[in-house]
Amino acid sequence: MIGQFLINGIITGILYSLLAIGFALVYNTAKLFHIAAAAIYVFAAYMFYLFAVTFGLPLIVAALIAVVLTMGLSWLTDGLVYRPLQKRKASNNVAMIASIGMMTVIVNLLAMFFGTETKVIGRTLQNNYVFGNIIITASQMWQFVAGTVMLLLFLLFIGLTTWGIRFRALSADSMLYETLGYDKTKTRNVVFLMSGAFIAIASCLTVYDVGLDPYMGMNVLINALVAMIIGGVGRFGVCILGGLVLGIMQSLTVWQFSSNWQNAVTFLLLLILLFLRPQGIAGYKQRTI
Amino acid sequence: MEYVLHIGIMLSIYVILVLSTNLTVGMANLLTMCQAAFYGVGAYIGTFFLMQYNLPFVVVALAVMLATGLTSLLVSFASVNLKGDYFILGTLGFQMIVYTILYNWIDVTRGPYGISGIPSIQILGIGSLEEIYSYFFLALMLAVLVALIFSQLQRSPYGRILKAIRQDELSAQSLGRNTTRLKTWAFFISAAFAGLAGLLYASYVSYIDPTSFTLNESIFIITALFIGGIGSRVWGPIVGAAVVVILPELLRFVGLPDAVAASLRQVIYGVVLIVLMFLRPQGLLGNAKLK
Repeated sequence: MIGQFLINGIITGILYSLLAIGFALVYNTAKLFHIAAAAIYVFAAYMFYLFAVTFGLPLIVAALIAVVLTMGLSWLTDGLVYRPLQKRKASNNVAMIASIGMMTVIVNLLAMFFGTETKVIGRTLQNNYVFGNIIITASQMWQFVAGTVMLLLFLLFIGLTTWGIRFRALSADSMLYETLGYDKTKTRNVVFLMSGAFIAIASCLTVYDVGLDPYMGMNVLINALVAMIIGGVGRFGVCILGGLVLGIMQSLTVWQFSSNWQNAVTFLLLLILLFLRPQGIAGYKQRTI
Repeated sequence: MEYVLHIGIMLSIYVILVLSTNLTVGMANLLTMCQAAFYGVGAYIGTFFLMQYNLPFVVVALAVMLATGLTSLLVSFASVNLKGDYFILGTLGFQMIVYTILYNWIDVTRGPYGISGIPSIQILGIGSLEEIYSYFFLALMLAVLVALIFSQLQRSPYGRILKAIRQDELSAQSLGRNTTRLKTWAFFISAAFAGLAGLLYASYVSYIDPTSFTLNESIFIITALFIGGIGSRVWGPIVGAAVVVILPELLRFVGLPDAVAASLRQVIYGVVLIVLMFLRPQGLLGNAKLK
């Protein structure tokens, strides 16, 4: 039994990690509490639905289109709202309230166009892969393989490439970054495009399995946030650690108690962590905490 | 006429809620995301008192406020000293925990089925409030009373210290103020009045279920506050509450289908919020800059 729950937890954790990376990219570099990420997640899901079900394109093609469109939306949130706000020297909390506004607008526009009822993309019956006494559904297999590949690519990217180093530099000290002659706006554009891509991938992988409705974003985002905090704030790769810890812990909660208490346990852990170790398991200690 | 009274009652409830939020957000610079949790805790505890004992209203109200205030200590203990985003996260977490408990502890809260048949309020000398207009006067009186209390609170020495904390917490500390304790109290008072609003709501609607006290409701209250304006004495929150309560009723007369109208008004709130952050981050009537 425990093997099955561990595998389920790891797969959920991979999805949380993808989303947490999408959030952390923006949070660490632009220092924005990017609540609109919840709406971006929902947008990706509806684009996937639109192209896969309404237009009947193959799933892979539909997912790719959804990812590209979502990257565009993510970039627009920065270009249209965040950057102009920061140019006006607005504080981070003001940007966050604007972010709440954007989330409300995007989610409810989607609700107006697509309706509020739950939609389904995947077939109801899926093939299963059986390994000993562990059963993995086809969509879980997809989530595991595609998710792991994306996470490994991200680790390579952030650790080894020039752009990865730029991201880390920008998140360490944006003032110094500009002083040394790097174009902050250009880096931010890449950050938001990448953030959109990761959120969209997480979204497509998840909603194929569980379906979609316009209001699902917030709950998912909050789990990703907790994953980011558990892993450690100010760094990128450790989001994966946080995501896996959270996923496995939630899965074990389901095993030991019931799925109803999953959220309560998650947030209890968050409050305890904020109280004892606000920087997370592997985060840097920051003066502002 | 009953329709207008109904709007008046809902408006009074939201005025109390938004005023209470203004104390934490506008005065103490604590951007809280769990006001709906306290609103819900107040509603459920109020329901408990109303259903178990036939107590006069004043006693019930005070008991509910005290109990909700004590609940706030759970979250302020862990998070009142956290800065900025961490505080938001802490309150978000608390909001989610409260919702989960209300939804899943079925033995006590009846979970998703909700509690129906909540008795109406008993006033000494008048009896129970059955008629909608008597209820309207009670709600209106309470809203005015709460507005006066908050107005006085902001002018009091305590309010001035909160203002000082908002402007520069380190300086306030260096002058010997225990900012942790002051902020905890702000949180306590704010939660207590949100609980009072919950009690009013529960006894007026006579049916409660957890879906009225979600994170979205918290965000909705914050939206109302920011539209009205943060930090202003009382008029900002009152105007904000009026906008979010009356605007949907106006949209009703446009004749859109219900589902579309609900989404449309959310879109309007969202756009207003974004535009305000550009042009007037303190809100229409606000006078405090959000840090």
